[in-house]
Amino acid sequence: MAQHTEPTEEDSSGKLSIIDTDVHQTRADDEEIAAYLPPRYQSIGVELPGRMYNNPGGVLREDAQTADGGPAGSTPENLRTNLFDLYDIDYGVLTGDFLTVSLLPNRDYAGELARAYNEWMVEKWLPADDRFLGSVVIAPQNPEQAAELIREYGQHDQMVQVLMNSVSRGGYGEPRFWPIYEAATEMDLPVAMHPSNQGAGMSEPPNAVGYPTNYFARHNAMPMLHIGQLNSLMSEGVFAKFPDLDFVFIECGFTWVPMMMWRMDKDWKGLRQQVPWLDKPPSEHIIENTYYTTQPIAEPEKPEYLTQILEMMHAEETLMFSTDYPHWDNDDPRYAMPKMPEPMNSRVMYENARELYGL
Amino acid sequence: MTTRYEVCTVKELPPGERIIVEADGLSIGVFNLDGEFYALNNACPHQLANLCEGRITGYVTSDEVGEYEWERDGQIIQCPWHHWEFDITTGESVFNPHKVRTRTYDVSVESRSVEEGADAAGDGKVPENTTDPTEETSEADQTETYGTTLQGDEPPIETYPVEVEKDVIVLYV
Repeated sequence: MAQHTEPTEEDSSGKLSIIDTDVHQTRADDEEIAAYLPPRYQSIGVELPGRMYNNPGGVLREDAQTADGGPAGSTPENLRTNLFDLYDIDYGVLTGDFLTVSLLPNRDYAGELARAYNEWMVEKWLPADDRFLGSVVIAPQNPEQAAELIREYGQHDQMVQVLMNSVSRGGYGEPRFWPIYEAATEMDLPVAMHPSNQGAGMSEPPNAVGYPTNYFARHNAMPMLHIGQLNSLMSEGVFAKFPDLDFVFIECGFTWVPMMMWRMDKDWKGLRQQVPWLDKPPSEHIIENTYYTTQPIAEPEKPEYLTQILEMMHAEETLMFSTDYPHWDNDDPRYAMPKMPEPMNSRVMYENARELYGL
Repeated sequence: MTTRYEVCTVKELPPGERIIVEADGLSIGVFNLDGEFYALNNACPHQLANLCEGRITGYVTSDEVGEYEWERDGQIIQCPWHHWEFDITTGESVFNPHKVRTRTYDVSVESRSVEEGADAAGDGKVPENTTDPTEETSEADQTETYGTTLQGDEPPIETYPVEVEKDVIVLYV
């Protein structure tokens, strides 16, 4: 790992260090990534499924455009000015905006787009600032090629995780996805998922009762994606098969985690015979093998409700701070988080990510 | 103070069957597992449902994710409520390390002659399978971290000695 700062909990000014686990750098133009496509796809370029759900205020923060009016997050300087320098962030995990490749039916094209994205990361972003950490983006509908990308780009010092869309056809626990986990285990990288354009392309409905009507409803339903994926990983035995592999669930909330711990533990007692490879309560796998990011932070009627949920989910072992900069619903590290006791506070803001990503 | 109860004749409880009897104010399930007799309190430690009226089944294990092995055929009782599984021979919960243990009782087969006032001599084969919840204390304490409804100090279900005394199944409570 490249070292930007000494990995101490506090810097010289006494401020708590911060690792941001969800930063969306983007491209000013599709050509930035298309340039890295192989010749057979040069005539197509970057063609991703269009949006089926639209936010009336837009998705990118309008106050965070680049100096020349480009999209927020489209230059390293933009990230430095509006995020890393402003909040004194030690490291940020760049998650991009390219996970929609998973919604394409053409596995080969999707895989090549993912490769082009990773090449763009290595060329444009990772050399720009050693606080920038990368994610190896994959097209999970092409598991063998995804495993190749993990083994290739995972060698880069600043690549700290594998990243795929929270939307998949069939749950990520299914054995056809296991080549991804074998490669990630081999490279000692966690596997993260983040929602992207759910509902579009060949996406399953992003809501358990079908396609929601509008962006409001789709946004509310995001936890269902990760509940479904966690459920699949647990029941198919991924945590038993790959006990050293960690999963990161980005931007789909976390207040549901205690509910799933309790529900899974209860069902495990009565339905264990269908999942006999789970030789301990599912909640233990959740605490040991999964992480969740904070944004969008929950804002309950009474702040103490959130504090209680943090205790219930063992946040000191499972939760990592994220801003989601520069999206419309991003969180400010100074004002968004509830008061947390130590060591929970430092673990959520910094330590959990530092341990997970080996910083 | 142990009280002796005649359950039924051996013929009336063939292998694989179970009978629920009232003894000492308790409802107790007496099971014939291939000629060996076992008795469990008919109350699940979870929500006190009639445990012994559930399915007599086996135990699924796995050596490899995605593969299933069927073991202990006929030796597991599955509570009809919520399907917790217990080992009929010991009263132990299958989903250990939770260490829930249901209480078992000794059952014997004796002669009808005991009805005529003979002492309940039996053959002295009282199974050493009764339970002491305190021996599971350390594991039981761990369960508290999982938020389960059942804690370590919940009353376990008892096992009781069962003897066969000249073709009569006898339960000691």
